Amino acid sequence: MIGLTNGQMANGEAVAAKPAISVKSLDFYYGDNKALRNITMDFPRRKVTGMIGPSGCGKSTLLRVLNRMYDLYPGQRATGEVLFDGRNIISQAVDVNRLRARIGMVFQKPTPFPMSIYDNIAFGVKLHEKLSRSEMDGRVEDVLRRVALWPEVKDRLKASATALSGGQQQRLCIARTIATRPEIVLLDEPTSALDPVSTARIEELLDELKKEFTIAIVTHNMQQAARCADQVAFFYLGELVEMDSTDRMFTAPKETRTQDYITGRFG
Amino acid sequence: MNGIARTVEAVSGEPPEGTGAQKAALGSPSSFNGDKVFRWLVTAAGVGVLLLLGAIILVMVSGGMKAFETFGPAFFASAVWNPVTQNFGALAPVFGTVMTSLIGLVVAVPLAFGAAFWLTQMAPARVSFIVGMAVQLLAAVPSIIFGMWGFFVIVPLMARYVQPLLRSWFGHVPIIHALVQGAPFGTGLMTGGLILAVMVMPFVTAVMCDVFASIPAVLKESGFGLGATRWEVMRNVILPWSRSAVIGSVVLGMGRAMGETMAVTFVIGNANKIGWSLFAPGNTIASLIALEFPESPSGSLKLSALMALGAILMALSFMALAVSRVLLGMSTRREGR
Repeated sequence: MIGLTNGQMANGEAVAAKPAISVKSLDFYYGDNKALRNITMDFPRRKVTGMIGPSGCGKSTLLRVLNRMYDLYPGQRATGEVLFDGRNIISQAVDVNRLRARIGMVFQKPTPFPMSIYDNIAFGVKLHEKLSRSEMDGRVEDVLRRVALWPEVKDRLKASATALSGGQQQRLCIARTIATRPEIVLLDEPTSALDPVSTARIEELLDELKKEFTIAIVTHNMQQAARCADQVAFFYLGELVEMDSTDRMFTAPKETRTQDYITGRFG
Repeated sequence: MNGIARTVEAVSGEPPEGTGAQKAALGSPSSFNGDKVFRWLVTAAGVGVLLLLGAIILVMVSGGMKAFETFGPAFFASAVWNPVTQNFGALAPVFGTVMTSLIGLVVAVPLAFGAAFWLTQMAPARVSFIVGMAVQLLAAVPSIIFGMWGFFVIVPLMARYVQPLLRSWFGHVPIIHALVQGAPFGTGLMTGGLILAVMVMPFVTAVMCDVFASIPAVLKESGFGLGATRWEVMRNVILPWSRSAVIGSVVLGMGRAMGETMAVTFVIGNANKIGWSLFAPGNTIASLIALEFPESPSGSLKLSALMALGAILMALSFMALAVSRVLLGMSTRREGR
């Protein structure tokens, strides 16, 4: 078991040489308002990248660029480069729907669809794959087990997902996201609407998920960033102030603004 | 009047003399209680609405009682409307009312859904605003205008092109030929239904727009986040979420269509018949009442029959309204959760 884990680690290190997503000189505008300025950063493969900063600093905006969610809203545009799988995904020539299946997203508030627990997961899968009934059953069970929701819901898969508790709903949303087998999972403050116990469960889950997925998590919670992330990026007023390994960010940040923020002097 | 003046006095007046500090801070009951008077006034206004509704229902039902008593349950099943033999039945106008409303809905609902989908999900904000305003304006056009427009534009079109074309295509197809048979007058159930569609569409569109716009953005984005297209999000996220409200809006439209009078009277043809042809002249409860009422002397059986029809129309409208309320309410409750 240990040998296997080591093997995976070694494999992971080798692949990690090439980042899952590379952002280069990215600018983002809400109409005339420039929300991101010249962002350049890498998201290492199978690592958790934490993004912190005060409200309005652009960290959530960056997530919404990575899966082109901003496309839905006229007047929002990005310039620069976001390299994913060898292509600049903010140029027009990508299939946005395919892209969003490969770069999944979990939101601040749990957003179960108004359908059964089973269908919540099957919905996304059906959009991209033709699975037989038994294959789909297997997929649903697999992802529910991985988010540790299976024991709680296995007897009521046909029940409405909106009847679950907030923490369960958020784990269902994570299950739904990983069910389409994305390479990258974006999480936008996934625990800010949850109680401490549910939060702890989600954080444990992240540790499991990063063995397989590249994770970008936006959080307001400094402890959460310290606990979950391998590297942390600090944003302020649309700029990436500093990015480093979690240890160094929280023990010896280079910038005074970072120092001030993580010690709670502003923000 | 006196009551309102007292209320103002009570609100602006100084606190009565001789109250202790604690009593003044809490306020004290004044000698003539303006609150009480005001409460009675607004209660009277509220109860007045109820009484008014009750009075209208009472007049309709009691006025129609003579017809109900004369013909019994057969009143609902008879399609005869013969003032000479004093024989009246409700079936033909009820049939016409339901048919024109259904035709109207069948045409209007897909249009309204498409318009609402486009306006809320796809159109650029500025265009959406302008078209949204146009929809509202369409809803504000008086029904008599639709009647004249229908009479001068739609009726000739139906008579010259639509029905002759449909007859040449389907005239020899079994079953379907019955739907298009008859002389091309241009007036009839189909024309009435189309006019109703134009009139009902803005209302249904407006309600659907509100419903689709009220869906939380994150729920939509969750759908898009899984790689769904706009249609897939509409089909699998927005519609299930708003299903009962959408049905409610449709039933609300049905209620409006059933009660519509003037526009339909212009184009329905006003013949008391029931037939398969969608192009045959017919009538609706509202159009029959509008046409026959001036020729019905008070106390006559015919007037009573018209009142009875009015009672039936009210019952149909109430049912539609009740169903739409229940469905819209179900959706609101879910939204609140």
